[in-house]
Amino acid sequence: MAPQAQSQRSPSPSQPSGKGEVSDLKMQLRQLAGSRAPGTDDSKRDLFKKVISYMTIGIDVSSVFSEMVMCSATSDIVLKKMCYLYVGNYAKYNPDLALLTINFLQRDCKDEDPMIRGLALRSLGSLRVPNLVEYLVGTLGAGLKDGNSYVRMVAAVGVLKLYHISASTCLDADFPALLKHLLLNDPDAQVVANCLSALQEIWGVEASSSEEAAREKEALISKPIIYYLLNRIKEFSEWAQCTVLELVSKYAPPDSNEIFDIMNLLEDRLQHANGAVVLATIKLFLQLTLSMTDVHQQVYERIKAPLLTLVSSGSPEQSYAVLSHLHLLVMRAPMLFASDYKHLYCQYNEPFYVKKLKLEMLTAVANESNTYEIVTELCEYAANVDIPIARESIRAVGKIALEQYDVNAIVDRLLQFLEMEKDYVTAETLVLVKDLLRKYPQWSHDCIAVIGNISSNNVQEPKAKAALIWMLGEYAQDMQDAPYALEGLIDDWEDETSPEVRLHLLTAVMKCFFRRPPETQKALGSALAAGLTDMHQDVHDRALFYYRLLQHNISVANSVVNPTKQAVSVFADTQSSEIKDRIFDEFNSLSVLYQKPCYMFTDKEHQGSFAFSEELGNLSIGVDDQRVEANDEDLLLSTRKEDSLPQQTQGALVSLDQNEPAAAHAQQTNSVIDDLFGLGLSSSPSSSPSPLLKLNAKAVLDPTTFQQKWRQLPVSTSQEGSISPQGVATMTTPQALVRHMQVHYIHCIASGGQAPNFKLFFFAQKTDEPSNFLVECIVNTSTSKAHIKIKADDESASQAFSALFQSALSKFGMA
Amino acid sequence: MLQCIFLLSDSGEVMLEKQLTGHRVDRSICAWFWEQSVSQPDSFKVLPVIASPTHYLFQIVREGITFLACTQVEMQPLMGIEFLCRVADVLSDYLGGLNEDVIKDNFVIVYELLDEMIDNGFPLTTEPNILRDMIAPPNIVSKMLSVVTGNTSNVSDTLPGATSSCVPWRTTQLKHANNDVYVNLVEELDAIINSDGVLVKCEIFGVVEVNSHLSGIPDLTLSFANPSILNDVQFHPCIRFRPWESEKVLSFVPPDGLFKLMSYRVKKLRNTPIYVKPQMSSESGTCRLSVMVGIRNDPGKAVDSLVVQFQLPHCVSSANLTANHGTVNILADKTCSWSIGRIPKDKAPQMSGTLVLEDGVEQLQVKPTFCVGFKIMGVALSGLKINKLDVKNLPTPAHKGFRAQTEAGQYEVRS
Repeated sequence: MAPQAQSQRSPSPSQPSGKGEVSDLKMQLRQLAGSRAPGTDDSKRDLFKKVISYMTIGIDVSSVFSEMVMCSATSDIVLKKMCYLYVGNYAKYNPDLALLTINFLQRDCKDEDPMIRGLALRSLGSLRVPNLVEYLVGTLGAGLKDGNSYVRMVAAVGVLKLYHISASTCLDADFPALLKHLLLNDPDAQVVANCLSALQEIWGVEASSSEEAAREKEALISKPIIYYLLNRIKEFSEWAQCTVLELVSKYAPPDSNEIFDIMNLLEDRLQHANGAVVLATIKLFLQLTLSMTDVHQQVYERIKAPLLTLVSSGSPEQSYAVLSHLHLLVMRAPMLFASDYKHLYCQYNEPFYVKKLKLEMLTAVANESNTYEIVTELCEYAANVDIPIARESIRAVGKIALEQYDVNAIVDRLLQFLEMEKDYVTAETLVLVKDLLRKYPQWSHDCIAVIGNISSNNVQEPKAKAALIWMLGEYAQDMQDAPYALEGLIDDWEDETSPEVRLHLLTAVMKCFFRRPPETQKALGSALAAGLTDMHQDVHDRALFYYRLLQHNISVANSVVNPTKQAVSVFADTQSSEIKDRIFDEFNSLSVLYQKPCYMFTDKEHQGSFAFSEELGNLSIGVDDQRVEANDEDLLLSTRKEDSLPQQTQGALVSLDQNEPAAAHAQQTNSVIDDLFGLGLSSSPSSSPSPLLKLNAKAVLDPTTFQQKWRQLPVSTSQEGSISPQGVATMTTPQALVRHMQVHYIHCIASGGQAPNFKLFFFAQKTDEPSNFLVECIVNTSTSKAHIKIKADDESASQAFSALFQSALSKFGMA
Repeated sequence: MLQCIFLLSDSGEVMLEKQLTGHRVDRSICAWFWEQSVSQPDSFKVLPVIASPTHYLFQIVREGITFLACTQVEMQPLMGIEFLCRVADVLSDYLGGLNEDVIKDNFVIVYELLDEMIDNGFPLTTEPNILRDMIAPPNIVSKMLSVVTGNTSNVSDTLPGATSSCVPWRTTQLKHANNDVYVNLVEELDAIINSDGVLVKCEIFGVVEVNSHLSGIPDLTLSFANPSILNDVQFHPCIRFRPWESEKVLSFVPPDGLFKLMSYRVKKLRNTPIYVKPQMSSESGTCRLSVMVGIRNDPGKAVDSLVVQFQLPHCVSSANLTANHGTVNILADKTCSWSIGRIPKDKAPQMSGTLVLEDGVEQLQVKPTFCVGFKIMGVALSGLKINKLDVKNLPTPAHKGFRAQTEAGQYEVRS
């Protein structure tokens, strides 16, 4: 699935390798390089075009680099542009040759045409060759002070490029301060916007290591800057407006007057033609009013119209992105959208994903006043050509029925579906009727009359079949031929592929047996017999269970199989409200489109900058109080060693080497503790690659040293680990894991976060030498995964330590 | 922050690659993407935003060309999608349409445009008017010029004035021999008529297009006779918000050339100009179908280019349909299209015939949806009327022109 990391230069088989052509080009370029004859530019241009077109289709033309550079002495701007493009693409792989280009780029940076100055500066920044940064610094400095805004605008982004090539050079030249000056004083809005983007990124990264940068980052969302930007908002381009609005949404105004001021100022942004601006504004409004319930509601009312217009105005792709956001809002406050249900009607040629969102929203907004119309509309889709949509809409009708108290009409509709005699319609409807009956048993009479007419032969889908069988069992006394229908199904036991259906069949025939014993006895016998020989473990077990239950006591069996049931009042929601809230907090981000909060899908590496020092400050320092506990655990160890069953693999539950000097080193003791109750499932550390690594039980490291080391050391290992479900279950706070790791002589220096995301910093020391291991561990309890980053004083031991850490982690929750 | 933009042809070939940041995005992502989209039976079903194992991808498809953008960081999704849409618009504007050949022929221009539109992942200028100043579009005139004068540069030598002016959508020194401005109301009627013949939804989505060729920096004021009917509006950045808020007039300094001044929505229309009445009755394996079309509310102008389209259900094995006016075509994918053209005065167009169902199917259970297309020139069905257009700050009086038209948008009739 993953794109292989194949070389970008390898052309696909369908394309020519272009070797001959490239050497041809090389020759021709060389001939032109020195020529000053008129018309040279034209022939150069043709050649450059060819080179670029080869580059575009993926042929490696880096071999003509020096010829390209030689030809670059020209006044023709198109030639220059093509040359810049080419150089930018290959400089990274030919740093030595890139040096050749510096000369002409620097000269162009002093050209009298601002466009050429800008272009040259942009290309110079795009070379991305670390040892050429010295040439960049001076040019950038001049660029930032250039008289023309186009050049300044390019230079601002150039600073960011420089920062990514060499952060220290960028900081040493004091560029951030220059950018900040421009941010606050430049007359051109685009320059301001570029400075803002660059500063946000630079300080965002720097904030983790420098307090000053962290302060500067904070200062960006201070009142003066926010107000300064807001006052100029109309000068910015639409894209820059998005950036500014996003920044403002991080600002928390101290009082409600300010909130109203900001909203009044920005209200017209809701009318902007660019959907991104509208959505950014909506996010800001929602964030600002979060604590003011009544205003928040008014905001919903206000943003409704722009959102609905955006949905109908854009291309399908845009409407989808907007609809996803609308979906989120509708789910949060369905009643506010109840009158707009007609906008959510599906159009015939909309893509499936749009229709599905609309159906979900229609379901949510249904209330007493509009149910009838919505259900009528949904029933139209049931007859639709598009089968997946037909299914979805039947499900939607069912969901509405489960929500509403006035189900009378809806039940009739559902029963009409059954008369349509189409497989998938019948199948979906059966499942729904079953759910309905569980909630409203009073409707059983009407439903059963219709269900009774359905021949089980016409129902093929396992879910539907299971639903039908459930109803046959549950309402056996009302359905004349229930026992015989069941009998027929049991006769086909062999052909029934779905274990779910077979399980339901067993239960149904039991229920039926207690209601109409004489008619069902034979069927029950054959069902149990078939069940006992069934290959599927669950089916076999259930059959055996019923069999023994019947043997044991018939009346007990009856009370087990046919207890008095209470009607289900609410069916469980699939997504927790906490997750929904989180998605709401991430409004106007990808989270909304994926319908997942970002921690569930983004890679930590790329989540932008992580403010280390700041976080460390907020985290609880949990070293001292736990040392005592660790000692306690040590004591525990020695007493209970006898009953422990260290394991090696999942399969070999009891194979062991008890002779092993268990307490000899840390890992061993771990396994002992964790397996106190013999429950451990994962592999034991006895298979650890380096039994030589011993950790100091009384390791000490103060937070400042930790921070310093963390900043200095490179990451030696970074990997994913998994945590057992039991561990996850106990992990309501990070402390549980902290205590667990303590036992393994891995100490926690700081921890924090809220379920389901925790972040912990650990350290450990070798026993015999003061060599430290530092660990950052990000645990996500919803996926049971931990992301581990290890830094070590002694790189060579980091592998061994990593294995040790992983094994310790994997046993979390086992003891 | 976008990291890379790819343009893919309709066979999945990478036509163009523009790396935007230092984090190089490998081309193999396109192969992954293509596999995903091919594995979907209907390419229309690929979500606009998907996650690959390494990147998050935005994609839009225009005329068979896929615009693919990659990112690894959280960003505003609409910014990505909207930007790609803008790129597509600008390219098709520049190249006079979008297709594989035109992009391959002009890839240098495409690179130049992308270079100005986005830098290091931040969108910069997407106003076509400004881009046009920086990079001249390839057209016959410039081709001629280049042949005659020998100067083939399509990049203007000067920076556009607008990059430094306070009206970013307009260049400062514009001179036209004839000053004229045209205002065009283009409306789309979206309607759903359900199987009982009830109009469940009917609304208008409209755009005010302005084509302006005015010298200097003119100041325009456009007012409507009945602005209260507008339910929601969206404005081009050039419109000043205050006058609209207080007096419902549009006051603006226009960009040069054609642009969308505003778009609007009018809800709850009570009537549609035409009726389309399908009738179906099945009996023992065949289904009689008849569709009648006619004028319900005379809009005052001729209803033109009338087309009724529908998808034959899968269980139909053959169809025999004839019309008393216009032509009926049944395509290979079972789409039936009845082109009527202009509704005749003397008779009501009708299409009728039989659908033969597959063996074993007695009744037609799946009901097709009829999509209707039409065009009415000279009328804005929402009833929106332009009151007057004032042009100030102009040395010579300008010629003003107004037009209106209504088309069917999503107009569907269910049976």
